[in-house]
Amino acid sequence: MKSALLPERGAGDRMTAIFWRRPRVLLALLITPPLLWLGVVYIGSLAALLLQSFYSIDEFSGLVVHEFTLKTYIELLRPANFDIIRRTLLMSASVTLASAVLAFPIAYYAARYATGRWKAVFYLGVMLPLWSSYLVKVYAWKLILAKEGIITWVADGLGLGFLLDAALALPGVGGNSLSTSFLGTFIVFVYVWLPYMILPMQAALERVPKSMLEASADLGASSAQTFRTVILPLAMPGVVAGSIFTFSLTMGDYIIPQIIGTSARFIGLAVYQLQGTAGNLPLAAAFAVVPIIIMLIYLSLAKRAGAFDAL
Amino acid sequence: MTAAVEFDSVSRHFGPVRAVDGVNLSVAEGTFFAMLGPSGSGKTTCLRLISGFEKPTHGVIRIFGQDVSNTPPNRRNVNTVFQDYALFPHLNVRENVGYGLMVKGVGRATRNAKAEEMLALVKLDGFGERKPAQLSGGQRQRVALARALVNEPRVLLLDEPLGALDLKLREAMQDELKALQKRLGITFVFVTHDQSEALSMADRLAVFNHGKIAQIGTPSEIYARPRTRFVADFVGSSNVLPPELAQRLGGAQNWSSLRPEALRLTAADTTALTGTVTGLRYLGAGTRVTVAVSGAELGVLVPTGTPLPDQGAAVGIAFDTSDLHPMEEA
Amino acid sequence: MRSENRAPKSLTLAAIGGLLFLHLPIMLIFLYAFTTEERTYQFPPPGLTLKWFAVAWNRADIWPPLYLSLMVAAISTMMALILGTLCAAAMARARFFGRNQLSLLIILPIALPGVITGMSLRSAFSLMDIPFSTLTIILGHATFCIVIVFNNAVARFRRLSGSITEASADLGANSFQTFRYILLPNLGSALLAGAMLAFALSFDEVIVTTFTAGQQSTLPIWMLQELVRPRQRPVTNVVAIVVFATTFIPILIAYYLTRGGSETAGGGK
Repeated sequence: MKSALLPERGAGDRMTAIFWRRPRVLLALLITPPLLWLGVVYIGSLAALLLQSFYSIDEFSGLVVHEFTLKTYIELLRPANFDIIRRTLLMSASVTLASAVLAFPIAYYAARYATGRWKAVFYLGVMLPLWSSYLVKVYAWKLILAKEGIITWVADGLGLGFLLDAALALPGVGGNSLSTSFLGTFIVFVYVWLPYMILPMQAALERVPKSMLEASADLGASSAQTFRTVILPLAMPGVVAGSIFTFSLTMGDYIIPQIIGTSARFIGLAVYQLQGTAGNLPLAAAFAVVPIIIMLIYLSLAKRAGAFDAL
Repeated sequence: MTAAVEFDSVSRHFGPVRAVDGVNLSVAEGTFFAMLGPSGSGKTTCLRLISGFEKPTHGVIRIFGQDVSNTPPNRRNVNTVFQDYALFPHLNVRENVGYGLMVKGVGRATRNAKAEEMLALVKLDGFGERKPAQLSGGQRQRVALARALVNEPRVLLLDEPLGALDLKLREAMQDELKALQKRLGITFVFVTHDQSEALSMADRLAVFNHGKIAQIGTPSEIYARPRTRFVADFVGSSNVLPPELAQRLGGAQNWSSLRPEALRLTAADTTALTGTVTGLRYLGAGTRVTVAVSGAELGVLVPTGTPLPDQGAAVGIAFDTSDLHPMEEA
Repeated sequence: MRSENRAPKSLTLAAIGGLLFLHLPIMLIFLYAFTTEERTYQFPPPGLTLKWFAVAWNRADIWPPLYLSLMVAAISTMMALILGTLCAAAMARARFFGRNQLSLLIILPIALPGVITGMSLRSAFSLMDIPFSTLTIILGHATFCIVIVFNNAVARFRRLSGSITEASADLGANSFQTFRYILLPNLGSALLAGAMLAFALSFDEVIVTTFTAGQQSTLPIWMLQELVRPRQRPVTNVVAIVVFATTFIPILIAYYLTRGGSETAGGGK
């Protein structure tokens, strides 16, 4: 009969014995490389960003002065810069709102009515635009919104050209053509970030048990009442979770306003230009800190609303 | 003779929780040993201590006399049938069964032959090509068994292996496992929370409560003479009498147990012990009649065919004083 | 009784309209690649031609960015594959001090807007006088690709019955054998899916890249320059199709690799 203990065969068994006696050794071996990477490369970079934002630029030489100062942050409050922040927040908020409204029917249908093959169609139908090339999507809208593009053509064909003109004539948001107006920027933002709203919303709605809706109907609620008092509140965590993405992504984007829209700047664009052509790294860094702070506040509020369960 | 498995004041603490708390235990070679207890009583942790998935916080575990404190699971000649079977989903049945031989360097031809032999033993000949997902629960259980036995372990550990099966299949498997153990002569350590399963299969059993062994012995010992109130309650559904009542009925002034089948119903005026019927529960082979007597409720098992009293009727209860079993602690 | 499973017509229309809104614009790119109109985005195109594919093929300035993009994506994916899998393995193994902090750290590069990741790296390179190179691009890409691989791997770990690794050890396998014969075969498709998505993400990335690329151009940067200052518009359309296909195909593969699981790829971009 065999012995109660088996012999040790080779280095593999010896290492296994070490891992077994000291589980922390294996854990450390696994965790060290990614921790070093993320800790050094990423956290290190974030620290560098913060550090950079406390430096300032010498107005005459254009060189970065490596001395601690709050001067750069004070500069953020200058009307021109403060306008950028305000404009960005306004855009982020309206994009988020519009995404939520547009996303709802898709998410609701996919969560509640789509089955089998249709479920897959809806899933891929949202997933593919989410993952497919960002730049190509933006570019497609440049084609669509151009003065000579498809929108104008369709509007003229339907005899609705006057509506388009009226929209473009709106003060503040209008412009020469859709591709050079705030309205255009807004549309593209909504298009690009919409899938990020649909997915968490659908996840939240899918978690509403059917029996709960039946219970509501059973207790005498009309469809509209069920919708308002049961479905909407239960979808809310999904909306909040989705809004984290749409808000954050809009706030940080600098490609879309550069390609479609007016010359008015957003935070992302300001960061990009300040670090590039202007060479003012400290101010660029200070600008970049703004979304971080806003997102931290937003996330802590969202956490309180229970949004992370819907992710 | 050396014990197959021996626990020498073994404890396993998880933070403040004492999952296993100073257990002494000795499993003789070739026995079918059951560990019985409610969930969280430490029985599964004990099993995992034997297989090596947990390490004792204190104490020493010996397998056939050898201290295994420094031996990882892969070097213990002990195999486990897991509660969820843990079959490898990407391997077919034959590869699953041959896995233990494969990692020990046994050639393909030998291990396939042995795997087929084992599959025949568990009555799954011809299932070698199937994937675990294509099997029923009972078949998976047999594959898990074959996969463990092919390694010719000195001790086979079974973690509630029948828990996921339906009642009929479970009873058939109980008989089969028992027969298999007798035939192979391997020591089986079997964890279960089902007292009837433990009583019917085990040669010896340990009743666990709060990380400690409440009682250890043969099934009939434990059934007839539970040492504590917990054991009396958990194994079979014994009547537990408070000390005053036990004394009044002719026993010692101790908490005492009295099995329902040891009691007989009589006319109300013929015995010292009388009460009122408060409940009747039909169990098939008999009916459990609950009688409220002064100071306690007693269950009486009345065999089917015997006339039953009405609810609320006054009845007398008779029994042999020798069946009144005093217990050690409250 | 009224069927509860029939959607109201208006809802169906809105849902399908929403899906069309998501897909029609992308299709338009395909049409424009064939237009004969060179200077404007005129719709409908005055005529159709195949010549832009040939023109694009012969444009010398497209090939180096394409090679660079492929190389960066391949190397970043490899690094992310290793680091992301290690992370997932550690997270699946045990609860340990700092576990939640680590998961936040992994998600952060993709949770914060790209401009912050980009600007942070840019600041660090500037403070440490690191010159821009292919390496600095890869550094950035690998950082945000880790989370993609991690998400896929961790979801699969979760779905795997925890006891199969114990079963393997129980049957006599050492840690390396368990990894080789049990973990790898079961994680394989999830890792491949993660790698596909990471590749797609990296190949297409432009926001972080502009901050870490210096003078070099990846294909998306080349495209961005063309968008800001257009030269031959239909050539850009052809490149757009190439970029689209190079990201689209891996995404489809990833979907089919993980289909049927609770962890279908891509939920966490």
